[in-house]
Formats: sequence, structure tokens, C-alpha cells
Amino acid sequence: MRRQGRIQLIARKATQQRATPLALRWKFSVATHLIVLPAYNEAEALPSTVRTLQQLPDGYELLVVDDGSQDHTALVARELRTQSRLPLHVVSLPANCGIGAAVQTGYLFAARKNGYQYVIQFDADGQHGADYLTRLVQTCEDQQLDLCIGSRFLSGVGNEFRSTFLRRIGIRFFAGLISLLTGQRVTDPTSGFRCAGPRAWRAFVERYPDDYPEPESLFWCARNDLRIGEIPVRMQERSTGVSSIRSLRTAYYMIKVTLAILIDRFRPLERFET
Amino acid sequence: MNAERLMMLGGMAAFCLTFYWVRGRQLREKYAVAWMSVATVLLLLGLFPQLIKGFAENSGLAYPSAVLFLALGAIYLFSMSVSLSLTRTRRTSVRLMQDLALTRYEVEGLQQRLSRLEHQFNTSNTQA
Repeated sequence: MRRQGRIQLIARKATQQRATPLALRWKFSVATHLIVLPAYNEAEALPSTVRTLQQLPDGYELLVVDDGSQDHTALVARELRTQSRLPLHVVSLPANCGIGAAVQTGYLFAARKNGYQYVIQFDADGQHGADYLTRLVQTCEDQQLDLCIGSRFLSGVGNEFRSTFLRRIGIRFFAGLISLLTGQRVTDPTSGFRCAGPRAWRAFVERYPDDYPEPESLFWCARNDLRIGEIPVRMQERSTGVSSIRSLRTAYYMIKVTLAILIDRFRPLERFET
Repeated sequence: MNAERLMMLGGMAAFCLTFYWVRGRQLREKYAVAWMSVATVLLLLGLFPQLIKGFAENSGLAYPSAVLFLALGAIYLFSMSVSLSLTRTRRTSVRLMQDLALTRYEVEGLQQRLSRLEHQFNTSNTQA
């Protein structure tokens, strides 16, 4: 009996210790943002990406979603947990589900933990600049955006991003198509560097495209009157690994995404509270 | 009704069916690309019957092509049902894997908390 009582006391103390920061967080409404890093075979690039994110101020948490990697991505991510100044969570999908499902796992994680304001998608391969991340969130807050994209093609940062000719054509084509169909100007619909506000990421928990999700999800937001915006960012070439969009698959990618966007126009609109 | 009109109708029906299922999110766009290609071929053959006639005359398969047409119809229906069930299965399995991954994460967290508690208990027990 005495032993049981002591266990209960220790358990209560531990719960109180854990509950205090959360309670404080709610009391002073310090917003916490979640950075989702979808990672497939990124064991080599992940440490430097996580290291660059350490410069962020408090209030950010990192989530590595290991998308059924064949290499040691999950192991590397778990080791990084001990070194990271910012809280780092690791979720491992049991099999490769694709980029859309990996990113959606991040939104599901945010919904389950319930306490995040913005959810930012950030590539694990190190091509996105961490210095633009706070600006992305700040723009969302200032302009009350539901989705803010880090664009490689907006002027203002002297962009040095290079891509294949076919891919550049594809990006321009999707930018034109989405702008034409929604009346909203977008310049980089394929960018995976994006910040989603609560209305957008809660909607993405229910529906998010499987493969090549960026242009389709952007179109969905614009069509359903969610507020979208862009800021200029600089991106580097991938440090290691292989892009999920290889040049040979670009044509298929363009046809598939175009079809998805055109058919999405015929789906019923969803209403969001303003 | 001649074969050309039948093919045109078949092509249009294939278009409508594909569109309807993709719109209802029962069919992935990945499969829809292939099915819309089949529908386009059917429509083209219906609009330009000389294509299939030329093929039949050149290959000497004037009558068997009608049998082939029926067989294609059956294969179409069968394969489309497979695509539909694959789409549903894929959605279910992805959601299951996501749930599994998140539950594993939560279990790991609980295990860590439990071992911390056990450690605390053992330490205080030793001190007592």
C-alpha cells in the first residue's frame, strides 16, 4: 500500500512537472510552430539540415517524418534528437508512402498534439534556406495568410536556383494554369517550402494529394477562398540524394497534375469560417 | 447502330465514367491518365473509322477485330474495377500506416516516461 502511494505521488509530481510548461504556454499564448521535414533516404543530408534549423528562435519544434527509408534516416534522426536545441520529434512510416502522405503525417501529428499554430514544410535535403523560415511565418501572421509559399521565382533575393529547362517550363505552366483558373497570382506552385495556417493544415489532415502534392494543394486552397501568398526565397541545389521528380518523369508529372487540377474544379467548394 | 458509333459511345462513356470516379475521389488521377488515353483512342477510332478499317484490311483480321472489340470491353470493365479497388485500398493502407507511425511515436514517449518514473521510484526507494 505504502509503495503504491509513493508511486502515485511520483507519478503526480512528474505529471505536474510536465504540465507546467504547457500551462504556461497557454497562459501567455506563446505560439508554437511545427516544422515538418519529410525524409526519404536523407541520412546523409539530414544532420546539416537540422543543424541549420538550430538558429531559429524558441517556439519552433521539428518533426522528421521518415517515409520508409531504405537507409539509416530514422536512426540518424533519433540520434539528432539528443543534439537538437529545439524539440525534435521523429515519426517513422512503416513503408514508403510518398511525399504527400509523409507531409500529411506531419499535419496529422500537429492535429493530434493540438497546440501548434503554423505548420511549415521544409525539405530534409538542405535545399531550403532556414533564414527565410521566420519570414515565411511572419508574412503569414502579418497578412493573415492560410498558405504562404517560398518562391524561387519572385524577384528580391537575387535567386540563383537552377533547374532543367523542362522543369522550368513545367513550373511556369502550372503557375499560369493556377493563376488563370483562380485569378490569384502564383509564381512557384511546385515549391515544397511552405507555411500553412490552422485553417489550411487542418483541412490537409482530411485531404492531401498523394504524389506531387504541391500545385494541387495550392490550387485547392486558392479555389476554396483560403488566403494564399508568396515571399521570395533563395534555394540551393540539393546537397545529396535524388529529387523525387526526375527529368524523365516530368512529362507524366505535368499530365497527372494538370488532370488533377482540372478535375478539382468540378468538386464541391468547401466553406471556411473567416 | 454500326461499330463506329458504338466505339464513339464507348469512348464517351469511358470519359464520363473516369471523370465521375476521379471527381468522387474513388479513382486516383494516376490511373485516370491511362483510362482517359483508352477513351481517347476509342473516340478517335469512332471518329476516324478508316483507321481501324485500314488496320483490319492490312492485317487480314476483318472479322476477328469485332471479337477483339468485345473482349476489350470486358477487359475494360474488369480493369477499371481493379483500379477502383486499388485506389480505395491505397487510401486505407496509407491512413493505417500514418496512424501506426503516430501511435508508435506516442508509445515510445510513454515508455520513456515510464522508465523515468521507474528510475525515480527506484532511487527514492533506495534512499528510503
